[in-house]
Amino acid sequence: MTRFVFTLLNGITLAGLYFLVASGLTLIFGLMRVINLAHGAFYLLAGYISWNVVDKTDNWFLGILLGALSLGIFGLLVYLILLRKFQYEELRVALITLGVSLMLAQGMLALFGGEYYQTSIPENLSQSIPIPGIEISYPLFRILVLFLAIIVAIGLWLFITKTRYGAIIRAGVDDTAMVSALGINIQAVFIWIFFLGSVLTGFAGSIGATTNSFGMGTDGDYLLFSLQVVIIGGLGSIGGVAIGSFLVGVIGQFAVGYYPTLSGIITFAMLVLILAFRPQGILGKIR
Amino acid sequence: MTKVRNTYLLLLVVAIAFPYLVPDPDFWVSSGGSRALWLGVTALSMSFLNRNLGLMSLGQLFFSGISGYIVAISSVTYGVKFGTSVPLAILAGTLSGVVIGFIALKTKGVYFLMLTLAVTLGLYSFANSAQEITRGHTGINSIPSPVIFGIDFAYSKPMYYLFLLIAIIIFAFCKFLESTSFGIALKGVRDNEDRMTAMGYRILPLKMIAFVFSAFIASIAGVMGAFYVTNISPDSVGLIRSIDLLVIVVVGGATYLGGAFVGAALIVVFEAIVQDFTQYYVAATGALFIIVLILAPQGLMGISAQFRRARAKKLVAAK
Repeated sequence: MTRFVFTLLNGITLAGLYFLVASGLTLIFGLMRVINLAHGAFYLLAGYISWNVVDKTDNWFLGILLGALSLGIFGLLVYLILLRKFQYEELRVALITLGVSLMLAQGMLALFGGEYYQTSIPENLSQSIPIPGIEISYPLFRILVLFLAIIVAIGLWLFITKTRYGAIIRAGVDDTAMVSALGINIQAVFIWIFFLGSVLTGFAGSIGATTNSFGMGTDGDYLLFSLQVVIIGGLGSIGGVAIGSFLVGVIGQFAVGYYPTLSGIITFAMLVLILAFRPQGILGKIR
Repeated sequence: MTKVRNTYLLLLVVAIAFPYLVPDPDFWVSSGGSRALWLGVTALSMSFLNRNLGLMSLGQLFFSGISGYIVAISSVTYGVKFGTSVPLAILAGTLSGVVIGFIALKTKGVYFLMLTLAVTLGLYSFANSAQEITRGHTGINSIPSPVIFGIDFAYSKPMYYLFLLIAIIIFAFCKFLESTSFGIALKGVRDNEDRMTAMGYRILPLKMIAFVFSAFIASIAGVMGAFYVTNISPDSVGLIRSIDLLVIVVVGGATYLGGAFVGAALIVVFEAIVQDFTQYYVAATGALFIIVLILAPQGLMGISAQFRRARAKKLVAAK
């Protein structure tokens, strides 16, 4: 029972992190049809930046803030310099981002070396809290990450469904040409969305660097998680990301906890099974 | 047509004489020639799919990985003779193409790219975690080379000629397939699925056969890789290797069959040269890739066509 609850908690809190990681990817794709396959590398870069900031300044919140912001700016530069011109050629853009990912992977290896790091949790958040009903206590910070993910999810949902900007984004998802015909500068909207999506990725990377150790190879791992999440949930849908992260997080953790050797196959089998019935993902739309 | 045939003949002669032409044969026959042929066959499985179905697959390393791991595990862990392990590996890799094709062929474009990338990365994470089977991160080392008729293919020249033979047979077979009615139907599917459906073709079986065939090529390449590198580890199917393969295909020219080998040869030479100047040759490859994508998306094989089109455009504009 204890093991079950513990695994479940691990799964749910990890799902929170996955949601943060994949929401930026899906937000950008939903509006712009641009898939950023350097996503894992962005995540890892944010981890390194925030770790270094926390290491130097001893201020965890500053580390998170700078990690998120610097990735926002970096992502924006990548978009403006490399992607913008080919924005309507989906495949070409995806391939260019893979090239970026290759360069980033080696750049980070050169700058930060092959060691693994983990940002230390601020002291007042580092205790464990008892879970009612079972004997074990659970790290408070992981539960906070889950709440953070829920807050971001609600914030994104409110932003997209209740605000004027959200309305522009929703309209842009359906018909970009019509939106610009209405006098809205859709190019400016694209820029902001790419910035916002990259900030989200940077935020996720900074948080993830505190909950899990990271280093060489983490970029590929988190690219895989995000791809699994958006493929299962349906690319371009925030709700889909929520469902996808829950499934990948919880089922992945149970697989690792109970059948460690087969864990990769179990997640993969789930992916195959879902796609067999819904090739566009659970909440994805057929375009 | 004769011009094309002459080019092929010339290339064949050069390829056969290659070990006797290069200045530093100890290095270039193995690290240049055999490596380029191995990577070229892997890349060919990808360009075949892209050229005939318009699908860019990052799943080829999955098939290569499956067959490579099976050769490695059966021969190193269980001591199976390669006469059994090689067909078994190729069969398994090819059959895994049926499973992947079943889900991946429902998608197109970037979705297909993403899905196949996820499949390959999934194998990476499996290979990393399933320690009892794959020996985890260290991988499986010292895979024995095959010995056929007393010829030990561990030596660089026999291996090179074996690889050359395999590459020629596969390349010729791809060319042959494209000339059959099956190959022409494939191009029809690539260009307009709806029209082909209206004409009474069943699309999915056509796509499936092409996909499984490309998995078959990739599986052969996986065996070649296992014998060439003599070890296999999760990194053999990791993100960087997947992108490396993509670089080869795109730089050579993703819509040309020969592009796979042109790209492989170019990248092998490029890395060998850049390696002398900087240890960050992977980043240099990435930069080269982005430059090619921006300036010449049709790759090296497509450059002359690109120039011709640009000149034609200019002429039209001038008139």
